[in-house]
Amino acid sequence: MLEASGIPTVTLSMIPDLTRAVGVPRLAGLGYPMSRPLGRPHDADGQRAVLRATLEVLANASGPGCYVELPFEWPESPAVARNASKGLPPPPIVDLLQKKPWLLARLYSGRVPGRDGLG
Amino acid sequence: MAIDSYRFLDFATRQIMKAWAARQESGVIPFTPLAKPLRACTVALVSTAGVARNDARPFDQDGERRNPWWGDPSFRAIPLGTSERDVRLYHLHIDPRFGEADLDVVLPMRRLAELAAEGVVGSPAPTHYSVMGYILEPRELVEQTAPAIAERMRAERVDAAALVPA
Repeated sequence: MLEASGIPTVTLSMIPDLTRAVGVPRLAGLGYPMSRPLGRPHDADGQRAVLRATLEVLANASGPGCYVELPFEWPESPAVARNASKGLPPPPIVDLLQKKPWLLARLYSGRVPGRDGLG
Repeated sequence: MAIDSYRFLDFATRQIMKAWAARQESGVIPFTPLAKPLRACTVALVSTAGVARNDARPFDQDGERRNPWWGDPSFRAIPLGTSERDVRLYHLHIDPRFGEADLDVVLPMRRLAELAAEGVVGSPAPTHYSVMGYILEPRELVEQTAPAIAERMRAERVDAAALVPA
């Protein structure tokens, strides 16, 4: 949307195949966990490297659909990264689906009920 | 594909995201070339972490709790210089503690200012933005929120924007 109004954009994504399927002008893929797109808190050098690499995709892209995989590795195992967020309350949709699991098909298919159409 | 952050997700979320990716149809992708070299550009950031300043309206978490299919499609302006002391993260699908400990984890305004000082970019925009990234029905986001952000960026002569997920 920003791009169509004349502002060039680059999109960083940890799920680049989904973002790519949506179709963005310039995409930087990054193998970091959700909630920590730039890196670990207080790791200024690491965060700056990710931002700089992302902005370089902005500068170097030659046409729509350009995709670059950033060369950064998350320093922890997936299990450790997942465990860091243990104990958070589940999102409301997860709560709902635990009570009404048949609604999962709706989420899966993307057929979202309207604002008042509670399942 | 080499990038695999699915491994950081639980099984159900992973399956849903893969199903969405497989079903998604992409239209024509717009493309606006950079009008000037990056080192001369004013750059703005957009975070999907649901960041709101403590003196602004929070994102509507209760609305999402009432209707879990709905997510708040509005946006918040975050002036340059705002720090983790001044904000909260209202996204119910991420761990907000990382961004609340260090705002640059999700909205790297200080890192952007440093890159400007190094001459990589021209300058950070005076204002940056956040939306809340759990929105299954994106019509209002697309038709109202994004154009409103674009208009404010144009008014501040922003040359380019980086969109940061959460």
